[in-house]
Amino acid sequence: MFRSIRFGLALAAAGFLTLATASAETIKLGAILPLTGPGGLIGTQQQKGIQFALDHINAKGGVRGNKIEVVFEDNQAKPDQSILSFNKLVDLQSLPIIFTAYSGPSLAMAPLATRKKVLLVNAGAQADALAKASPFLINTLPTIGDEIAVLCQWLVKNGKKNAAILFENSAAGISGRDNYVTHFKAAGGTIVAQEPTQFGQTDFRPALLKLADAKPEVMLVSITAAAQQMAQQYKQLDLKFAVAGTTFLQDPALIADPAAEGFMHTQLQSQSPPALAAEFKQKYNAEMEFFVRQYYTASNILFAAMDKVLEEKKPITGENVRDAILKIKNFSGLVPVVFNSNTASVPFDLKVIRGGHDEQMVELKAQ
Amino acid sequence: MLALQLLVNGLVTGSALGLVAISFSLIYSTTKIFHVAHAGVYTMAGYVAWSLASRGAPDIVTLAVTVAASMAMGAFIQHQLYARLERRRATPLVVLIASLGALAVMQNVIAAIYSPNILQFPVPWGSKMVVLGGVRLTWTQILTVIASLAAYGATIWFFHRTILGKQIRAVASNPFLAEITRLYPQRVYVIVVAIGSAIVALPGILVPLDLGLQPYSGVTPLLTATIAMIAGGIGSITGSFVIAIGIAVLQNLSLLVIPGEWSIGITFFIFVIFMLFRPTGLFAAAR
Amino acid sequence: MDFLFSYIALAEVYVLLGLSTNLLVGIAGIFSVSQAAVFGVGAYIVAQCLMTETMGFVPAMLVASLACIALNVLVTLPSLRVSGDYFVVTSFGIQLLATAVFINWTQGTGGANGLPGIPPPDLFGFALESNLHLVMLTTVAVALGCLAFRLIMRAPFGRLLRAIREDELAVAAAGKGVLQAKVSAAALAGAFAGSAGGLYATFLSFIDPVSFDLDASILLLTMVVVGGARTLAGSIIGPFLLLALPQVLTFIDIPTTIAASARQLIYGVLLIAFMLFRPQGLAGEKL
Repeated sequence: MFRSIRFGLALAAAGFLTLATASAETIKLGAILPLTGPGGLIGTQQQKGIQFALDHINAKGGVRGNKIEVVFEDNQAKPDQSILSFNKLVDLQSLPIIFTAYSGPSLAMAPLATRKKVLLVNAGAQADALAKASPFLINTLPTIGDEIAVLCQWLVKNGKKNAAILFENSAAGISGRDNYVTHFKAAGGTIVAQEPTQFGQTDFRPALLKLADAKPEVMLVSITAAAQQMAQQYKQLDLKFAVAGTTFLQDPALIADPAAEGFMHTQLQSQSPPALAAEFKQKYNAEMEFFVRQYYTASNILFAAMDKVLEEKKPITGENVRDAILKIKNFSGLVPVVFNSNTASVPFDLKVIRGGHDEQMVELKAQ
Repeated sequence: MLALQLLVNGLVTGSALGLVAISFSLIYSTTKIFHVAHAGVYTMAGYVAWSLASRGAPDIVTLAVTVAASMAMGAFIQHQLYARLERRRATPLVVLIASLGALAVMQNVIAAIYSPNILQFPVPWGSKMVVLGGVRLTWTQILTVIASLAAYGATIWFFHRTILGKQIRAVASNPFLAEITRLYPQRVYVIVVAIGSAIVALPGILVPLDLGLQPYSGVTPLLTATIAMIAGGIGSITGSFVIAIGIAVLQNLSLLVIPGEWSIGITFFIFVIFMLFRPTGLFAAAR
Repeated sequence: MDFLFSYIALAEVYVLLGLSTNLLVGIAGIFSVSQAAVFGVGAYIVAQCLMTETMGFVPAMLVASLACIALNVLVTLPSLRVSGDYFVVTSFGIQLLATAVFINWTQGTGGANGLPGIPPPDLFGFALESNLHLVMLTTVAVALGCLAFRLIMRAPFGRLLRAIREDELAVAAAGKGVLQAKVSAAALAGAFAGSAGGLYATFLSFIDPVSFDLDASILLLTMVVVGGARTLAGSIIGPFLLLALPQVLTFIDIPTTIAASARQLIYGVLLIAFMLFRPQGLAGEKL
C-alpha cells in the first residue's frame, strides 16, 4: 500500500520534472576568470564579452525560451582557487558548462572536467598543452602555433631572415616564444636574440635596447598586454627593424597609436561590425577588444549548440553540448569557426598597421 | 653604446625608485611601521593626476592637487589606522597585516572606478624626444631625473636644516626622550607619513606618465625600494636613494652578461649574500 | 560533496603550512616571509618524483621533507646573523629569488607553464583518486602535524623557543643553546612545509609558480595572525576561514562588472577591522 503510494508520488515528481525541463526555465552556466589582480585586465574584458552575448540572447527570449544566466567566479589566475571554484559551481550548482581562460587554471581544471563530464570552454589561452588536455576542454581558438608557422614562412620569404624575439615571461608568452623559435628556424631563418619582459610590467626599454644590439631585421613579439607602451618605447628609441606579432597585437589602443605604424601581425578573423562595436561602447564605455569578441563569439557558439541539444529534446549536459558543437562543426558569427577537433581552426589574415588602421596584407588559412 | 644606453635607462628608472625608497625610509625609520599601503598611495597619486590631466587641468594644478591628496591619504592612514593600532599595542605583524588590508582596499577601489585597463596620460609633451650624447630620452624621463634629484636635495635640506626636520629626527632616534621634551610622537608620525606621501606622489605621477597607469602595479617598486632602504642602512636618506639607483642600474646592466629572465633573480641573490656579510647596510656607518 | 572535500583537503594543506609558519614566526620569532618558497620546493620535488616515476608517493614525500628541512635551515640561517627588520627583508629577497627560479628553471619546474598531469598519491599500491580518499590522507597528515605541534609546545623545547622570542640575550646568557633551538625549529617547520607541498601537488595534479609566490607567503602569515598566533587552534581556524572567505564573498550580490574588485575590497576592509578589533586572532593569546 505505502509502497504504491510512494511509487505514485515518485512518478508524479518525475513527470513534474520532465514538464519543468520542457517548459521555459533559466539555464545557468559558469565562468571562472581572473577578475582581479594582474590578470584582471584581460579577465574583465572576457567577462564583458560573455555578458554582452547574454544580454543579446536574453533580449531575444533566450535559447528556445530558456533564459541564460552565467555565474562568474574570480580565480585571480590561481590554480587552487580555480579548483575550488570549479567544484563549487559543479557540485553545489550542478552547472554543466564553464568558461575558462589562462592556460594554468585551465590545465588545472582539465582533469576534473574529464572526470565530471563538465564542458570547459576556453576562448582566450593559446598554449599548446591545451589542445590535448581533456576531451571536455573546447578551445574556440587555435593554439598559437598555426598563426606563427604561417607568419614565420611569410617573413623569411620576404627577406627577413634574422629575427629577435620579445616575449612575456608567462605561460602564454613562452608558448609563443617556443613556437617562434621552432617555426622561424624551420622556415630557414635565424634567431639572433631573445629577451623576456615581466607580466604586468610596462618598461620594455632594457629588453628593446638589448634586442636592437643584435641587429635583427625583424622583432617577433609575444606579449599579451601593454603592446601600446611597447610601441611607444620602440618609437622613442628610434628603432628601425620591422615588428611582427600574432593576434595579441590586435589591440585598438596599439593600432590607433602612430608609434605602431608599420607593425605586422596575424589576426584571427574576428572583426566586430561597427554597429555592434558601437552598441558595446555605449554599454560598457570601452572598445570591443579581442578578448571581448572572443568570449562573445564563444558564448554564441554555446548558445547555438545548446539550441541543437534542446531541439533534439536532450538535456543540457557538458557531454551533449560538446557533441553538438563537434556535430555542427561550422559556426559563423563574428568569425567562421570550424571544429575538426576540440580545438577550433579559425581563418586568419596578415595585417599591417597604417595610419591608425589595420590593413589587409594577405589572407592565409590555418592548416 | 648599448652599455651607455642601459646605464642611462637604469639611472632614470632608479631615480624614480630612489624617491619611493626615500619616502618609505623616512616613514619606516620614524614610525617603525612596515607601511605596505604606501604602494597604494603611490598608485592613487597616478590616478588622481590622470583624472585631473584628462579633464584639462593645468599641469601645475594637477601636481599641487595630487601632492595634497597623497598627503591627506597618508596622514589619514597614519591617524585613523596606525595610531589606533598603536594605542591597542598591536605587534608589528598585526600592523603589517592591517596595512596589507588598506592596500587591498585602495587598489580595488581604484580598479572598480577606473577598470584594470592600462591608462595613458593625455600629455603630448611627455613623449617628445631629446638626444643627449647619442642616448635618446623623453622629456618625461629627463623630468623624472630632475624632479628626483630636486626632491632628494630638498629632503636632505629639510631634515638637517629645519627645526621640524630636526624634531622628526629626534623622535625617530628616541620617541621616549622626545616625548619628555614635549614632542608628541604621534603628531610627528602623522607629519612624517604626510611628507613621505608627498614625496612618493612624484614618482607616482612621473612613472605612469612614461609607462602607463595600472591599479596593481605599485607593489613591485615598493618592494625594491624596501630592499634599497635596508641595504642602504635604515635612516640613511642618501643610502636608500643611492642603493635604489644602484639596483635599477644593476638590473639594466646585467642584461649585458646574462639573459633577462635571470636579472631579477641575480639582483636578489646578490642582495641576500650582501645581507649575510654586511647586514647593517652600506651607509650605516656614515649615519 | 566534492566541493566540501576539495575545500577541506586544500584547507588542511594550508593548516600544515599554518603550523609551519606558526612554529617559525609565532613561536620561535623568526619572521620569515619565504615559507611559500619552501612549500613550492616540496611540491616540485614530489611532482617530479612521481612524474618521472623514480619513486612512489611515500618515499617522494620523505625526500621532499628532507630537502625542505635542509632548505628551511639554510634560509633561516641569516636570522642568526641579522635580526628583526633586516631578516624580514632578507627573507623577502629569498622569496623573490625562489620565484625567479620557479619561473625560469624550465627543466625542473616547467617554468611559467607549470607542471600538468601530476599522478595522484599512492599508498601501499593503492592510488588515491577520489576526493574522499585524498581528504582522509590530508586529515591523517594534519592530525600528525597537530600532535607534533602540541607535544612541542608542552615540551621544554617549546618553552625554550618562547623564551628566545621574548629575550634572546637572556636565554643565551643562561647558557641555553639558542643556535640549536632555532635550527631545530626551522628544521621542523621545513618538514611541515615540504610535506604540505607534496600533498598540494598531488591533490591539484597541476602546479605553477603562482601558488608559491610572495602573495602566498603573505597569505600564510595572514592566516596565522587571523587564526591566532602561537596556538594550535589558530593554525587550524585561520586557513579554514581565509580559504572560505573568497568563496563566501561570491554569495554577496554586486553588479558584475565591479563585483570582483568589490569583493577584494571587502576582504581588505575585513582584514583591517580584524586587526583593529581582534588583533590576537580568533583563538589567540595576545601577541
